[in-house]
Amino acid sequence: MKTIVITGATSGIGLETARILARQGYFIMGIGHSVENCKRAEESILSDNPNAKIAYFTADLMQQREVLQAATTITKYLDENCNGELYALINNAGCVRSWYITTEEGYEQQFALNYLAGFLLTYELLPSLLRANGRVMITGSESHKGIKVHWDDVMLRRGYNPLTAYKQSKLCNILFAKGLNDRYAQSGVHAYVVDPGLVNTDIGNKKTGGLVSCVWALRKRHGVSPSVPAETYAFLCGQEEAPKGLYYYLCKEKTYSKHVTGENTDRLFALSERLCGIHYDKENVS
Amino acid sequence: MNVMITGAAGGLGRALAIECGHRGFNLFLTDVNEAGLRCLQSGLEWQFSVTVTTKACDLTSAVSVDEMLKVIDNHNIRFDMLLNIAGLDFEGGFMGREREKVVKIVSLNDAATLRITHAILERRRTGKHFTIVFVSSLASMFPMPLKATYAASKRFLLDFATSLRQELKNQDADVLVLCPGGLVTTKEAMEGIAVQGFWGDATTNRLEVVARKTLDRALAGQGVYVPGSLNRTLAFLGRIIPRSWVAAVVYWRWNHVHSKRMKPSVD
Repeated sequence: MKTIVITGATSGIGLETARILARQGYFIMGIGHSVENCKRAEESILSDNPNAKIAYFTADLMQQREVLQAATTITKYLDENCNGELYALINNAGCVRSWYITTEEGYEQQFALNYLAGFLLTYELLPSLLRANGRVMITGSESHKGIKVHWDDVMLRRGYNPLTAYKQSKLCNILFAKGLNDRYAQSGVHAYVVDPGLVNTDIGNKKTGGLVSCVWALRKRHGVSPSVPAETYAFLCGQEEAPKGLYYYLCKEKTYSKHVTGENTDRLFALSERLCGIHYDKENVS
Repeated sequence: MNVMITGAAGGLGRALAIECGHRGFNLFLTDVNEAGLRCLQSGLEWQFSVTVTTKACDLTSAVSVDEMLKVIDNHNIRFDMLLNIAGLDFEGGFMGREREKVVKIVSLNDAATLRITHAILERRRTGKHFTIVFVSSLASMFPMPLKATYAASKRFLLDFATSLRQELKNQDADVLVLCPGGLVTTKEAMEGIAVQGFWGDATTNRLEVVARKTLDRALAGQGVYVPGSLNRTLAFLGRIIPRSWVAAVVYWRWNHVHSKRMKPSVD
């Protein structure tokens, strides 16, 4: 049975993706940030499909020490139960913040959770992914097209804007996916970004306030069900041969920002490695 | 420049540590949260390549502070700046809070701040300018029923800092006292601001901006910093309106807020 790890798997896109993939026979390892949410999500999936193979783990992925703890737990589980192989990692966990707030490391929270947590978790799980010729998928957004990376102030401390922080984190995700393909496609690991479109989830109402919460409450009414982007994840997991594209919407390839270049990718990798105290090195991880 | 920050592992302390790191200052960070200090140390070193030293310490314990000072003296660290950020609040009526919790507010906000300020002034770098920042509050400007102990502890800091500034004027040292309104530092702070509605949003200051301007003003030798024009107007009104009237209005407002929210908070 192929194993898939999904972050942010207790609600919205992550939960629906877990539900659909469990139905298709994958073993799902979900990560959520509270015990209650994990329990509720597990019950929800099992009530639909009593034979679903699922296991939930609790971690606040905004904090790097919890990413590392989660990776250690998952790796141990994979080694003991799945021959150390991970077929797919779906970096879906994300947030919106109305204000500049930092993690324990002093990193802006949208940058830390939407992008950097996935960068670090992928690094930690890379040996298991390489063993299975696995796939890394990341929840992106079409909004990545309207922005450049603020290299001189990547945490936006000098002029914080919630939307800018969100868009930039999504651009970083697609740069990361390209960087992974550049480095590991030949070794069998492929990375993709899924554009979910406008989806009716609560992402803009959790720990936000004032204008952001109000605008999102109105905007999400026009969004599609989380099961729509979940189908794209199922499509990418279900292809026998790894698809060659990078950015997908409604199960089809789509064009991405012109700022997704090799130069920007390498620059982001170098910065992110520094911010996580790691070094992606094929020799070290395979 | 060597900077010591108390209460560094969260909220305003962490924001100031980030701002100092960005400016290339070397940091000595303390907080009761040892794990938080270690995470912040890594983050600052990775982001800014500055030297960061940490020591967990309960500033309300003289023994714990002495242990920290021993570390400082063993490494012969001498300081150019002290940022007194550690502070605490348990909201609610005076008799509605446990006795020791009420006393703890004054122990940390005032007694511990005096202890550390005295100790670090003794360890300032010889022959160099020295800067101290105290974190008071907009609450220090008014009588604050239902936040009585907290507001009074912050008034103490405002008056103490103003006096100390005068005492140190001829000793090449500056003292700034920061009096912010709400700051979005924690989930609880976010909820607290949200339940205050318009006034919560209107008096809330942006954390990163307050951190930046606090350092700018402290280094420029200013004495008092009240962030936000609305907050400065409120502070001015607090001086000209009879204090009994202010107390009545504040009581009405906080009573309303507390009916929505009765949770403890730490800043």
